[in-house]
Amino acid sequence: MRFLAHLHRIDRRWLYVATLVLMLVPFVKPLTLPAGHVSRTTRAAFELIDSCPPDKVVIIDSSWDAGSQAENRAQLEAVVAHLCRRKIKFIVTSLGVTPLGPDFARDIIRPQVERAGYEYGRDWVQLGFVQGVAGALGPVIDRFSRDLWGLYPRDIHNTPVEQLPLMQAVRRGADAHALCCFTYAPVYEWISFANAQYGLRLVFGCMTIMCPAYYPYIDSGQLAGMLVGNVGAAEYEALNGTAGRGTRLGVPAAFGNGAVIAAAVLGNIGLWAERRARRAAA
Amino acid sequence: MRKTVVRVVTLLGGLFFVLEFMLPAELRRPGADRPYFTNPFSPWLNLATDLVIVLGTMAFLLGPINLIRSHFGNLVRWRRGAVESAVFLLFLALGLGLAGVKEFPDLKDALGLAAASDAFQSGYNLLFYGLMSAFGATSMALLAFYLVSAAYRSFRFQSLEAGVMMITALVVLLGLVPLGTFLTSWLPTELQLPTWAAWIFAVPNSAVQRAVVIGTFAGAFAAGLRLWLGVGQKTE
Repeated sequence: MRFLAHLHRIDRRWLYVATLVLMLVPFVKPLTLPAGHVSRTTRAAFELIDSCPPDKVVIIDSSWDAGSQAENRAQLEAVVAHLCRRKIKFIVTSLGVTPLGPDFARDIIRPQVERAGYEYGRDWVQLGFVQGVAGALGPVIDRFSRDLWGLYPRDIHNTPVEQLPLMQAVRRGADAHALCCFTYAPVYEWISFANAQYGLRLVFGCMTIMCPAYYPYIDSGQLAGMLVGNVGAAEYEALNGTAGRGTRLGVPAAFGNGAVIAAAVLGNIGLWAERRARRAAA
Repeated sequence: MRKTVVRVVTLLGGLFFVLEFMLPAELRRPGADRPYFTNPFSPWLNLATDLVIVLGTMAFLLGPINLIRSHFGNLVRWRRGAVESAVFLLFLALGLGLAGVKEFPDLKDALGLAAASDAFQSGYNLLFYGLMSAFGATSMALLAFYLVSAAYRSFRFQSLEAGVMMITALVVLLGLVPLGTFLTSWLPTELQLPTWAAWIFAVPNSAVQRAVVIGTFAGAFAAGLRLWLGVGQKTE
């Protein structure tokens, strides 16, 4: 009992070491856990993109950088793999969050489109980054939905958009079949401007920690689907019939969550044992 | 005088967006060829959006400009932390130079650096992927360790509310990863952890989030209204 009481006072550095060791295990000894369950939000996102007609375009807003690449990278990879498999044309933008978004997106997209035989300008286009005011992206998103050519007169390679064949089909953001926004926490202005005023169907790919805030919009139908962190990416890959980064990182994430649970359990056992010891002493 | 000008500009700017949204695009009598009213603000909306983008860019530049002023002052006066300031300014100049040369080929040619393209690309890759991307990912990865430490200290069964929170966290943590499916795959679907986690997100979480969002946006609306109308601000 005395030993159990000490569990209440473990030095946090031992917890850090234990967490590191636990999360390294799946990298040292590759393990697989069954994907099994696919959430309704991921399934809805997959079905929306899968239902894209051949004459329509999907817009991807990739506004993540190094901080959230642990989850957003896998999400973008999974969705781009789906688009390439179905030969769906897409446009990549980066609206207002981080100027590093286009670089990170290009590194993911370029190898996949080359393998799929996509031609730049005809099958896919990257428009680049547009600065907005933090907390006030509404006017920019409104312009995006209403007048995409006006917001992006040139693409990331400085080519006028009127010279790009793919852009002839998309003069307004609202002309797209759907928009997928991958970032740490997609702004609500996408819902209040792009969806509410222009009817653009939205899929969000966000960090796991931010996902609870978007469930009301899933229920109301304002958000068509959502990829929740790495798990969402793994589920999307399972629906697409691939096994990419999301599936690979699901096991370390599981071990990490296990470490959090183990820490909570240890703390409670220690607290309970200490109280019993104190009552026995009294 | 300055505050009055700021207030007037704020009022007019907000008024533009409010009126542009509230007024109809056009009003037309039945059977008429031409509308008798068209929204006078809509033609200016694109210009207003361009101004928002320009303002955002200016705000974005404020941070680096202040950093340069602060660290350059440190360096020139050789105050405490001058070495760190020198390192910061060196990497800032290096990053700007490499990115500028990479993004603007004409600049590269003008500086006679076309022959060293590969070197510049390697240097840029080293700074971007080797340093910046790695540091960014590392700083976020540290959160995992803080989370474990916080869970150890705060997830204690000391009251009914704390217990409910802990059990909910347990279900959600396990339900969100394949571990939950692995542990409960032998149960019927309705009793598996991912199903419970999905229910927690869809029902109690959604209800609370709706309440929070209504309160947050009501407060944001009030704060925005105060800012727009200049209510409660000090006068000269």
